[in-house]
Formats: sequence, structure tokens, C-alpha cells
Amino acid sequence: MGPLRARIRATAVALLIAAGLLGGRPALAVPTAQQVEAVFLFYFSQFVDWPQGAFADERSPIVIGVLGADPFDGALDQAVAGERVNGRSIIVRRLKSIADATGCHILYISSSEAPQLPQILSALKGRNVLTVSDLGNFVQSGGMIRFVLIDEHVRLLINPAAAQAAGLKLSSKLLRAAAAGGPGGEG
Amino acid sequence: MPLRNQPIRRKLMIMLLVTSGAVLAITCAAFIGYQYAAYRAAARHTVQTLGEIAASNSTAAIAFDNATDETEVLRALNAERRITAAAVYDANGVLFSHYPADAPASAFPPRPKRDGLRFDQGMLIDYQPIRQGGNTRLGTLYLRWDLVSLHREIALYALIAAGMTGFAMLLAYLLGRSLQRQISRPVQTLGQAALAVSEKRDYSVRAPKLGNDELGTLTDAFNHMLDQLTADIAERNAFGTKLQKQLSRLDLLHRITRAVGERQDLRSIFQVVIRHLEEQVPIDFGCICLYDPHEQILTVTSVGARSRETALELALTEKARVPVDRNGLSRCVRGELVYEPNIAASPYPFPGTLAKGGLCALVVAPLRAESRVFGVLVAARRQPESFSSGDCEFLRQLSEHVALAAHQAQLYDALQRAYDDLRHSQETVVQQERLRALGQMASGVAHDINNAISPIALYTESLLEREPGLSERARSYLTTIQTAIHDVARTVSRMREFYRPQEGQATLAKIDLDRVIRGVLELTQARWRDVPQERGAVIELRTDLAQPPPAIMGAENEIRDALTNLIFNAADAMSDGGTLTLRTKTVMRQMKPEAAAESPRPIRDVLLPEGSSAAVAEPPVEMVCLEVSDTGVGMDAETRRRCLEPFFTTKGERGTGMGLAMVYGMTQRHRAEVEIDSAPGQGTTVRLLFPAAPRSAEETGRQLALGLPVRPMRILIVDDDPLIIESLRETLRGDGHHVTAAEGGQAGIDAFEAARARGEPFELVITDLGMPYVDGRRVSAAIKTASPMTPVVLLTGWGQRLTAENQVPPHVDRVLNKPPRLKDLRAALGDLGRRA
Repeated sequence: MGPLRARIRATAVALLIAAGLLGGRPALAVPTAQQVEAVFLFYFSQFVDWPQGAFADERSPIVIGVLGADPFDGALDQAVAGERVNGRSIIVRRLKSIADATGCHILYISSSEAPQLPQILSALKGRNVLTVSDLGNFVQSGGMIRFVLIDEHVRLLINPAAAQAAGLKLSSKLLRAAAAGGPGGEG
Repeated sequence: MPLRNQPIRRKLMIMLLVTSGAVLAITCAAFIGYQYAAYRAAARHTVQTLGEIAASNSTAAIAFDNATDETEVLRALNAERRITAAAVYDANGVLFSHYPADAPASAFPPRPKRDGLRFDQGMLIDYQPIRQGGNTRLGTLYLRWDLVSLHREIALYALIAAGMTGFAMLLAYLLGRSLQRQISRPVQTLGQAALAVSEKRDYSVRAPKLGNDELGTLTDAFNHMLDQLTADIAERNAFGTKLQKQLSRLDLLHRITRAVGERQDLRSIFQVVIRHLEEQVPIDFGCICLYDPHEQILTVTSVGARSRETALELALTEKARVPVDRNGLSRCVRGELVYEPNIAASPYPFPGTLAKGGLCALVVAPLRAESRVFGVLVAARRQPESFSSGDCEFLRQLSEHVALAAHQAQLYDALQRAYDDLRHSQETVVQQERLRALGQMASGVAHDINNAISPIALYTESLLEREPGLSERARSYLTTIQTAIHDVARTVSRMREFYRPQEGQATLAKIDLDRVIRGVLELTQARWRDVPQERGAVIELRTDLAQPPPAIMGAENEIRDALTNLIFNAADAMSDGGTLTLRTKTVMRQMKPEAAAESPRPIRDVLLPEGSSAAVAEPPVEMVCLEVSDTGVGMDAETRRRCLEPFFTTKGERGTGMGLAMVYGMTQRHRAEVEIDSAPGQGTTVRLLFPAAPRSAEETGRQLALGLPVRPMRILIVDDDPLIIESLRETLRGDGHHVTAAEGGQAGIDAFEAARARGEPFELVITDLGMPYVDGRRVSAAIKTASPMTPVVLLTGWGQRLTAENQVPPHVDRVLNKPPRLKDLRAALGDLGRRA
């Protein structure tokens, strides 16, 4: 069980306590894939190096954008609450359109935006933004990281070339973790 | 055994091994300790590094919940076998993955503990946080490093160290064995040398030096000490020998001094000194000489027994005279001790003489008394320079002692002589005084008795003569009384003879002693020759009469009586025979005792006339000595002292004790001296010393007016000895009697009868007792038969014995000893004449 689950469990416990206080029955909930993915989004900030120009200054926050419908139901906000990565705080923004995506460092493209995907990706071309999505063929379409559910475990499918093209350096450890026991390719 | 008692070799070995062992142990311990610490440090570092690597590699795996990746990361740890377990926990402390993968979860801590490295139960445990960069903690890495291998290693190191130590000790032992000799051998040899010195007292032992280190120095010092010790011992021994010698000399000196102290005469002192010197010092030649300072002559007085031959050879025997020349002897007689180490080439006579006898070393020590040298002690040896200074000193001291002793002996001798003289003088004076007192007493007693008995005699005589009517019994009693009175008178008269100082004013005539002596010898022949012959004893007569015959002034009859007494005494003293010697000589005598030192010293009495003590210093006067000697029993001191006293006799009943007393009385009247030499068993010599008659002196008188005058009588003498007849006739004629002599008993009887027939009867008859054919008894019987009133006097040599044994024959009025004493005769004549 990784920190992810711990984080997820911490979240669940908090919820359960609240429920208990409200008179609900205590129950140990298994974290959902969305909750896991929210935590993964936060962790990406630690394994990716952005170029110098991606931030206004040393203290500028890392901005995580959620484009389209938010599947995390507050879990992402909970995951980044109070956290700092390399001295930077983390901000979550919800975006309606790709045009609002200016200033984002990590952009989660929701399934709801599937039709506009090619526009979105082309709009982001040349910008230092890490793109993440659950959408199939996302990597082949020019996306960088796709969440894949294998044996009820969330696994990562990564396109290092796209990241490199975007001027991002992905940690080898991230690549190794993605490869080990990973899906091997998009089907 | 404690270490301090171990032999030095073992001690050194033990020290070496202990030191090596300690060093090795410390080294090994340090090494192992260091290894241990280093291992732990290295282990920490390795675990830390490996942990960091693993943690760093685990970040993505745990972040993205990839246990497979994590398992692979952990599997990489198997490259380090000492990592026995590893585990990764998530941020909530839940075990996420572990290594080895096949181990059960229970083999790992259920939850991570605080971060950090720690040793726990033989293991090194590491809890390390997992974080990506400086970000939030992702989890915890657990690593376990097993220290079993460390312990195994340490054990191995210990084993190797032990092995190395053992080997090193062996090596140290082998090296030490050969190297410790460098120290132990010199110490041992030194110890052996010291032991040899202390146990065997062999001071010639030296310890060999084996090196130039401190032990070498010690050995040198030891040897040097031994050298010094040897020298010290030699010195001490020499000193001891010297001391011993000195002590023995002192002892010898002491012994000699004692031996000398026990002797009083010079000769014996000198002999003992020389003998000790010869035997104890010793010397080859020793003698003592006396020194005459006037003649400058040394007279050899004592020569040692061992030196006698040499002395003979060198003509240095006793009494040899050695002149004192200008050499050592003259120095010696001035009081110096002279030592000539070698006299072989001496030019002087005395050392030269000794050198001829083979003597080389000479010491002459003076004998000095009151700062005057009176002699020298001569000691010589054949070995040249053989007298040490100790010997010389010894001889010097000895000579002082000897001189002192000799001086004392001389003083003692002089003192003894003076004392003897004094004693003799005192005895003489006492004797004279006693004799004088006795004489006075005798005189007084005689006078009183004479007075007392005179009336008795007179009345008895008167009664007998004038009372014819007396009964026979009364006449007989009166006759007995008369006889008794006569006896008393005779005794009294003898007493008067002893002391008759001025009586009668004796006229001294010149007397020819030779004639008197021959007469007396004739008269006394029966006593000194015939009577002893009857008993088989022989008395030999020797006469040694001076020529020309010396003449003295005296009363012949008294001298004759005295001489007769002396001859009787001599004959009595020689009951077993011997030699009777009569001697006359003229001597020059000072009125002091002779100081001749003869040995043995005879007992000598010198009786001097009264008042002669004042004449001690007078020049010698000529005196005539009449000496009667016998070889009889002699007298002891007491007898000799008292023999002149009246009534003192050694002859018991046979002696009157008046003989020598009368001799003494005679000498008193003649201003003569009596000397008596006698000792028990050595005979007696009585010397009568008369003043010699002046050569020009004329015969002043023929007779001595002695005794009471007796009226002249006609007397018949009957004897077979013509000499007696002659002497009696002469004596009696001298008294004015008419004397007729008859030779033989029968002739006497015939003559008596013839005279009676002629009408001229004899008024008195004197007859000898012992005569051939007709003896005195028959003569007296015949006369009494013919004329009872005619007194008969019997002359006999046995008179005393007859009287004593109450054997006076009948018909005899008086027994007179033969030769008849004049005074007795006179008394008898006077008595018998008056009675007749």
C-alpha cells in the first residue's frame, strides 16, 4: 500500500468520522480510482522538472488545472491541501475551456472533453504543461500520461517524447514505476 | 615459588615472556578493538548508504503504489549478503514491501520505529525516511544488518592473534634463551665466584669478565674488592702473626719472670733465664757475664746447656774472663743494648771469637741495677740478621727483669746473711745470758747447799770419829749419811765447775797442747777404742796437729778435762763406729762470724766471749784452734742450742748433763770461744779457740790454785796401765801427796801389806777395776779385809754405768770415772782423807 492509499485512507477516515458524528455506521471504504488519480496528480509535481520559464519566480505556485467536468469530487483539493513541493504551494483550478488553461503546469483533461481533444492538444503545443487524462488513445494522440486501470490498480501509460517536446523532464523513477507491471501500450 | 626466589635465568625468561605477552596482548586487543570499531563504522556507513540508495529508488514505487517495482528495488540488496532483511512501510506505517520477498510478514517489525541507525541484539538496524527531494515523507525503509559475521570475524581475529601470540612467545622464548645469557651468565659466574670465596674462603678466585657493560664493571669491582680483601687478609694475618709472636714473647717473659721470681740465688736465676732463652726464643748461644768495673773485665757466670759445646770451643766456659774493649761490649756496659746483625767480619776480639764458633747475629743486653751495669746478657744466632726488633725489645725487657731479679736476689741474700748474723748474735747473747744466769744460780745454789750440808758432814764425821760407843746400826746409818753428803758435795762441786768466774784466781801457764792431747788420747783410749771394739764398732782416730805445736795460756788440768769430755761425747755419738779427728791449728780470727757461702749451709754457732761484740771491727788476732770432730749422729738445732746448758743431756741416766757445761765454764775462764758445727746425721765438730800465748811470755806459774786444799796423804795407785799410773802419780804428787804405784792387782795388795808391815800404811788406795789376774774388786776386798778404814777408790771406765745400775761393788769407797777427774779425785781425796 503506498502513500496514495494512505492518503486516500486518511481522507476516508476523515469522512467516516464525520459520518459517525452524524450518526452513520462506521465502515472501512476502499478508495476509488478517482481518489487515487487525484493523489497521483499531486505526486506528478514531485517527479517532473519544469523549465525555468514555466514559473514567474521561485515562489510561484504549481498550478494543477482540471479541464472539463471534475471527476474527483473534492479529492484533489484534499490531496494538495497544505502541501508544498520544492518550496512551492499547489493550486487547483477548474477550467471550462482550453483558453483558460494559461498558467497551468499540470492539466487534467476530463473525459468530457474527449471531442475537443485534438484542439486542446494542439492548443497546448509548445507550452510547458504536463497533460494527463483517462481518455483512450490519449498517449497516441499526443498526450503525455494516461491513467489505466489494471487489476483494479491504477497504472500509468507515459509518452516521454511528448513530454520532452513540451520541455519537461520526467524522472526515470517515474518512468520505471510506470513501466513495471504496466500495460506496455495503449490498446 | 615467588618470583623473587627464582633463579635469575628463569626470572629473566619470565620477565621477557610476560612483557612480550603483554605487548602482544595489548597489540592484539587494540587491533581487534580497532577492527571491531572499524567494522561497525563501516557497517553503519554501508547500511546508511545502502538505505539512502534504496530509499531514493523506492520513492516512485511507493508514490505510485507499485509494489512490484519496490520488490525489485529491494531485491537489489542481495548483493550485500550481510543485509539479512529489508522492508518498506508507507506513510501510514503499513508494511508495503519486504526482502527477502518470500519471508513471512511476521519476520519484520509490524510498524516502523523512529528513524536512525542502532545496534540491537547483535544486529544493526536502520530506519530511514523515504522522500522525494525535500518533499513530504512517502514512507520508511527498514534495513537489518546481521553482526554475526562481525563476531565471526572477531573470533577469527582472536584465533589468529592467539596463534601469532603463541608463535611470538615461542620465538621470544627461543631468542630470550640465548639472549638472557648475556645477563645471567656474568651474574652466575659472579655468584659462583662469590660462593667460592664465601664457602671455601678461597680468596684467589677471580670472576671472569664477559663484557664491558655494568656487569663487567661490577665484575671488575668485585675482583678489585677481592684483591683488596686478599691484601687486607694478608695484612691482618701478618698483624695477627706479629701479635701472636708478641703475645708468646710476653708469655715467655712472664714465665721467665715467674721462674726467676721463684729463685733466690744468682746462679740459678741466670741458669733458668738462659735455659728459657735457648729453648723458647730460641737462640744458638747464650750466656750471662758479670761485670767488674774496676778491672774492666766480664766474667762468664752462666752458660746455657745447649751452648756448652760452643762455649768450650770458644773458651767461653764459666769463669772465663772477657776484657771489655772499645767495641760493643763497652757500649753495653755503659747501659746500651747492642745488636750486631752480622759479626762475621768484626775486627774486635769478642765478636770475633763468637764468629769463630759460627755465630753471626749477636745481641748484648746490659743487666743494670740502680743505674749501674753489673753484667751482660749475651744471645747469639748462627743466622745473620736473625734478630728482629721484637727480639731485641724482648731481650731488652728480659734483661731488665733479670737485672731486677738478680739485684733483688743479691739484696735478699745480703738481707738473709744480715738476718742470719743477727740471729746468731742474738742467740749467742741469749745463750750467754742464760748460761750466765744459770751459772749464777748454780753458784748460789751450790753455796747454799754447801752451807746446808756442811754441818751434816761435820757432825756425821764427828759422830763417826768421836763416838766409839755407837751401835753398828747407827754407825752404818751415819756412814750412809756421810756417803750421801759426799754425793751431794760432788754434785755441787760439778755445778761449781760449770760457773766459777773468779774463783781461786786461776793462774794461767803456758801449755803445750800437743802434749795435753796425746795424754788425753792415751787416758781415754778405753772409751773411744776398747769399748766400741767390744761391740764390734771401730772408731778410727785421726790427728792433725799443727807444727810447731802452738802454745796457749791456760790451766792444763781444766783443758785436759774439757778435751776428755769432748772425746767421750764424740765416742758416744759414734756408737756404730766412725772417725774421730783431733786437730790443732793457728788461725787469724776477727771477732765476727765467717761469711762463707757454702752449700749446704751448715748450722753454725759462734759463741763469742762476753764483751767481744765490741771487737767486731778489731784487726784479726792469732788464735789457736783445738778441734774435735766426729762422724756420729750429730745434733739437731734444739739440742745444739741447749747442749751447753748444765744438766742438759741426751744420754738419759748415763749423762750428768755437765760435760759440755764444764767445757763452757773452762772457756769462760780462759777467754776462749766454743764453736759447734753439727747437723743431724752429719757429725759434730767442736772447736775451742784459745788466744795464742804471747811468744815472749814466760811461764808464770806451774800450778793453778784450784779446789780446796787437801792434806798430804800416802796413796797407793794400783793399775795395769803405766800411763795412768804416771798421770795419777804426777797429779797427786802435784797436790802434795806421797804416791806409790803398783802395776797390777797382786802387786798392789803386796805393796799395801808391805807398807802396813813397815809401819807406814797407805792412807788411801786407788785401784783400777779392770786388770788381768787380780781385778779391782779383789784388791779392794783384800785391802778392806786388812784395814777396813782405809778408803778405796775404784777407777773404772764403767763408772757411770756401775753407779746407775747400783752395781757398786762392796769394799769400795768411791767409784771414779776413768780417766779420773782431778776434781773428783781431789774431792774424793779430800773427803776420804778427812774420813780416814
